Amino acid sequence: MTEVSAVVGASPHAEIEAIVTKLNASRPDARHVRYEGPAPFGQGMIVQRFALANGLRVLIEVDPAAPVVCLQTWMRVGSRFEKTGKTGISHLFEHLMFGETEESAHGAFDRMLEEAGGETNAATSLDWTYYHQNLPREALALGLRLEAERMGKLILREPQVASEKEVVANERRQRVDDDVDGAVNEILYREAFRTHAYGIPTIGWMQDILGFTPEDCVSFYRTYYAPNNATLVLVGDVDLEASLGLIADHMGALVASDIPVEDVKPEPPQTEERRIEVDKPSPTHRVAIGYKCPALGDFDHAPLVVLNEILFGGRSSRVHRRLLKELEIATEVRGWVGTGRDPSLYDISLTARDDVTGEALLAAFDAEIAKVLADPVQEAELDRAKSRLELGTLQSLESVSGRAETIGFYDTVLGEPGALFTKLDAYRRVTRSDVLRVARRCLVNDVRTLVLVRPTADEPDGEGEDEGDEVAA
Amino acid sequence: MKLFVETSAKLPIVSIAIAFRSGSTFDPSGREGLCRTTARMLRRGCEGWNADAIEARIDTLGGEFGADASPGATTAHAEVISRRLEPFLEICTNLIGAPTFPEDELGRLLREAKAELIEARDSDRTLAARAFRRTLFDNHPYGRRVAGTLPSLEAIGRADIEAFYKRHFTKENALVAISGDVTEKGAQEIAERLLSKLPEGERFTDAVPEPSPKGGRRLVIVDKPERTQTQMVIGWLGTHGHDADHIAWLVGNTAFGGTFTSRLMQEVRAKRGWSYGASSRVGFERHRDAFTMWTAPSSTDAPACMQLEVELLQTLRQDGLTEEELDFTKKYLARSHAFEVDTPRKRVHQPLEEALYDLPPGYHAKYLERVAAVTRDEVNEGLRRRMPFDDLLVAVVATNDDTGEALSKALPGVEVTVAPYDLE
Repeated sequence: MTEVSAVVGASPHAEIEAIVTKLNASRPDARHVRYEGPAPFGQGMIVQRFALANGLRVLIEVDPAAPVVCLQTWMRVGSRFEKTGKTGISHLFEHLMFGETEESAHGAFDRMLEEAGGETNAATSLDWTYYHQNLPREALALGLRLEAERMGKLILREPQVASEKEVVANERRQRVDDDVDGAVNEILYREAFRTHAYGIPTIGWMQDILGFTPEDCVSFYRTYYAPNNATLVLVGDVDLEASLGLIADHMGALVASDIPVEDVKPEPPQTEERRIEVDKPSPTHRVAIGYKCPALGDFDHAPLVVLNEILFGGRSSRVHRRLLKELEIATEVRGWVGTGRDPSLYDISLTARDDVTGEALLAAFDAEIAKVLADPVQEAELDRAKSRLELGTLQSLESVSGRAETIGFYDTVLGEPGALFTKLDAYRRVTRSDVLRVARRCLVNDVRTLVLVRPTADEPDGEGEDEGDEVAA
Repeated sequence: MKLFVETSAKLPIVSIAIAFRSGSTFDPSGREGLCRTTARMLRRGCEGWNADAIEARIDTLGGEFGADASPGATTAHAEVISRRLEPFLEICTNLIGAPTFPEDELGRLLREAKAELIEARDSDRTLAARAFRRTLFDNHPYGRRVAGTLPSLEAIGRADIEAFYKRHFTKENALVAISGDVTEKGAQEIAERLLSKLPEGERFTDAVPEPSPKGGRRLVIVDKPERTQTQMVIGWLGTHGHDADHIAWLVGNTAFGGTFTSRLMQEVRAKRGWSYGASSRVGFERHRDAFTMWTAPSSTDAPACMQLEVELLQTLRQDGLTEEELDFTKKYLARSHAFEVDTPRKRVHQPLEEALYDLPPGYHAKYLERVAAVTRDEVNEGLRRRMPFDDLLVAVVATNDDTGEALSKALPGVEVTVAPYDLE
């Protein structure tokens, strides 16, 4: 912490302005950097904000604790921008970004970074796509050069597009088609969002994945992959002046584009319970429940996250204790409050034990929901939830990549790189009244979405099996 | 008791690992899962606290406490916001040193554990891994399931738990690693306090024999309905820290399947698009564990993918690595090492691992030096000697009616067995 302050935190605003002025003096206007001031990031940490003339946002947290750097590029495009018949292109494109460029052969991106000791990855979601490089500090210049290359000079052609479509099809089989949780989650969102694009699976429908052409990919690239639609995040052992110079030189040449106005279609209010029943080769019954939840930036998002902790956070939480411990009817219960830019889903999953049915699980769950709708939660429960959220927040900041991801995510979705701590403050302020209000606002059974999974497997009870049947024993 | 400490005030949290040198290899035959059950019972009741009170207290303090087992060790992990360290230690000291193992909680945990075993049948990856280990290690302790089986969990009683705990949870058998917002002196006090209620006991040495699997080529098909995709594990025995060619083998494995641009990934994913993931790993235990290759091709691609992987093994054994591959891999391992030690937790776990698994002294400290010194001849000789080919095991989760015959034909002469997916 003190080390951070020594390098940047203690630097007066004017000192960073001086660095920027010096950098700009030797560069053309198009490659100028603009300092946009510091953003507080928890106790003792500071994110410095910059922008390039082409619209690229740059966020830097200097931390010399270990000789490593995390470089992430967050694109403000995800599956919410996709249309019927072209679903999954954001995700397919994420794969293609590791391919050939005008200056590097197919495969060279990963090979060069690995040779430098780096590790790369990427992720696509509803609202965003991000690219990640973990690098030894010495490899930052290489990482930035390659990142700029693929941002501006990617080549999209066969046979790479066809091969990557196959990879994504296999990813879909692994994560959705042959995975009960993945398949159920897809159905839940499809049913809950019939108008808004949150109903589109990020990985895309199989027929769409297999139907993409290189031309589709080029069109997507030209439309969304521009510096004015991106934020570059740098966390770790970097010299501010040197890294800003590299960013200006490599990223400053990228050309801004007109990002189309999003044709967003808000989801009309749900007016009925939607219930889907499916048969899956699963040993047990399962239930997935979706309540519409506020957007990440909504005032009620924090109270709902706290309520979720009270219901599902740890073994002392209400649903866990009741369904797993007291009734012994579930093996796993989970709740997750969506973090979408638009209202999304409070997504709940219940897995039955033995031959307990989905209806029985649901009845027990509903009884717990009825309690939080009827009476305020206990003060002690509220304290426990807040403590758990605080620990979780701190744990997410241990590594440079954890901090870069936090900074990039909140900047992309809320426009505030330090919003994790705004959220933490909001959790601390949540009262029992807030929890009661948000429960009554969000947990409305008449307008929720349900997916009930029935097992198609043979008798799941393997007790008393003959060990002598074990294969090749 | 051995203590390892890494201090850092970067974040206001303290992390603690308490490891005991005894793991599931000490489970008596027919009571597999005993070690893990004992570990999980720690937080189900202790002196002055029942299970509900423990859960509520840990959550209120902003803490986490969990314990689990592996074949060679049992480890409790605890973490807390540093301003609540004192009351957290108070309860953790009792969790470690004065558990009460209530009969009703044990019954509840065993029922939970059995339900978890059934639910695990949903994970094809877990099924493939289990089929592989069960077959490779056969009756060796490494082939047993750490979590136990449905019949073995039935056989575990409170007396078994108490006996296991008294024998293995002792000061002499413990190693402690503490990292985060704490001083060296404070860490020493924490460690002594956490173990203060344990007896001196004895330091256990591992009595497990070296695994010696049945030779030949075998294919186990885990038959599960409606699979459009397979999960495939191919491998054999790997290496352990005392092998003379251990580092050479690690370098060889990294070049073959340890990175995104390694041979396996390039051939399976980049060139053919057959599998989302493709990697190889070298397992880690006190004795020689498994070397495994992991892919997940579609049911239609699975036979060809299996053939390709076996051909890649053959080529690797026959021709070894090229100079370019060796040079690349050594650079990758040396330069990426910064990420092995970039957080206090990772830094403190290296000496803990070294002591817990009886690795050669200086295993981690000399790692980079040893990697740099490895020659191509050493790597290729190690690959020729130990990379599987004639002795080979394949475990595949697939729908046997759809894919079984094609898989069997793809590996001529292989001994094929079919196991139901709900065998365990």
